Amino acid sequence: MFIQGFHLTQTDASGMPILEDAYFSFPEGSYTVLLSENVLSATAFLKMLAGEYHPVTGTLRVDHQDPYTLTESQKRRWLTDVGVIFSDFKLFSDRTVVENILFILRAKGFWDKDSLGAVNILLNKAGLGAKANLLPEALTEGERQLVMALRAMIFRPRLLLADDPFQGVEESAFRILFKFLSELNKSGTTIVISARQAAFLEEAKKLGEGQTIRWMQLDGGKLHSLEEKVS
Amino acid sequence: MNLISRLGYVIKEGFLQVIRAGGLSVAVIVIIAATLLQLSLFLGVSRVLDHAFSSANQKFEMAVFLSASTTQADTARLQNFLSGDTRVESFQLITKEVALQDFRKDPSIDQMVKALGENPLTDSFTVVLKNGVAGEADSLAADLKKESHVEDVSYGKGEWETVSNLARVIRWAGLLMASLVFLTALFIVANTLTLALWARREDMLSMVRLGAPVWMRWGPYLCEGIIQGLMGSVIVMVVLEVVRRVAGEALQKYGGFDILATLPFQEWLSLYLNLLVMGGVIGMLGAFWALQKKWVKELL
Repeated sequence: MFIQGFHLTQTDASGMPILEDAYFSFPEGSYTVLLSENVLSATAFLKMLAGEYHPVTGTLRVDHQDPYTLTESQKRRWLTDVGVIFSDFKLFSDRTVVENILFILRAKGFWDKDSLGAVNILLNKAGLGAKANLLPEALTEGERQLVMALRAMIFRPRLLLADDPFQGVEESAFRILFKFLSELNKSGTTIVISARQAAFLEEAKKLGEGQTIRWMQLDGGKLHSLEEKVS
Repeated sequence: MNLISRLGYVIKEGFLQVIRAGGLSVAVIVIIAATLLQLSLFLGVSRVLDHAFSSANQKFEMAVFLSASTTQADTARLQNFLSGDTRVESFQLITKEVALQDFRKDPSIDQMVKALGENPLTDSFTVVLKNGVAGEADSLAADLKKESHVEDVSYGKGEWETVSNLARVIRWAGLLMASLVFLTALFIVANTLTLALWARREDMLSMVRLGAPVWMRWGPYLCEGIIQGLMGSVIVMVVLEVVRRVAGEALQKYGGFDILATLPFQEWLSLYLNLLVMGGVIGMLGAFWALQKKWVKELL
């Protein structure tokens, strides 16, 4: 998906500016990492892109459509192509890991008789095969984060918005998740993620060989392109 | 996903949600069972009355008294009239001698008759009406009274009308009470299910934000209500079946009250099917009502 923002201004609940008169574009198939000292700003920015947080002024275009002008059914169709990893998008506490992931396949209309097998293969790849039938409460915070990420990626969305998906993830899971994100991006998915600056930058440099990542900084309402690339 | 697959998912999720809701599910099932028990009492009374009236209809009799001057030819003419009438099932001539013999079985009347010295009674006919034409007793009586030698026609018109009116009042009152009980149950079930929805509001919000379609969001909740309703119905059916088998026999044995035992099983089966439908409807409407709450609609 191709994302463009024109003259966008966004504030938080207290009226503090998160974004001021910003112009940006995320081309189709791009991989953008949003660095921010203020975690809430990055979250609000991503939620704005996800059609959940209406900008105060300006225009947002996702594939030449403004998600805030869509009807409910149009928005649901639009969401079919969007994967999200937000900390408040918790896993369903009364469903097992497998059921949580199968749910999204049903919701997006990708469920078929082979889905269970495919999900189990994915969980094995992610090192969660033994925990497939556990409830989320039996997982570590990092494992839950990984399951949330798998849930957002399994249906190969055209746009993936992830709010600090590496938070709390152990090193091995970090590598797996980074690899999954890279593979997803290579298959054409536009990725926009937020991350804590220092920790992610160092790890990404080590892992991101052959991957073009666009870095942006969001602080004090200003969005800067850092033009730093890992390749 | 095709329709059957979706239906399977909704039913499975509905069952799981009944289990997940735990205590609240039990509360809803108990409320529905209590409501259906009350409704079945009203329905039961109504059915017993129907059955009793149906039996009474089948045995509806009238007595036709002839005047003292009636000749055999007059009696024969009246017999022809009754034979040709479509409302009459059967009739029997009771001569004044036979009637007197019957009266004399009561010693006090026997003394009175002895004092009189002659038979004061007249010939009469006992007429049995066909099944279901008890309501036409008035017109038949009027037709009979037109006959020259018919002195009087007696069929307990007043009593019949009183009982019939009373039954009608009981039926309407039962219907009114049943409606009130139904609405009250609906209100309680809806509010209890609202509590269950409130407990799952975060999940509901996640479903919407993950882009789950309407059938995935609403279906399991409606199905949950229907399943709880059906479970309430089954409890009441079991209770009533125990009452039918155990209490019915006991009542017949010790009290001579045989209405439970003699009510045909088809009537009970019909009652059970009604209960199943009502339970399902209460559960579904209760869930639908709960889903109509403003905050739920905003979420879902």
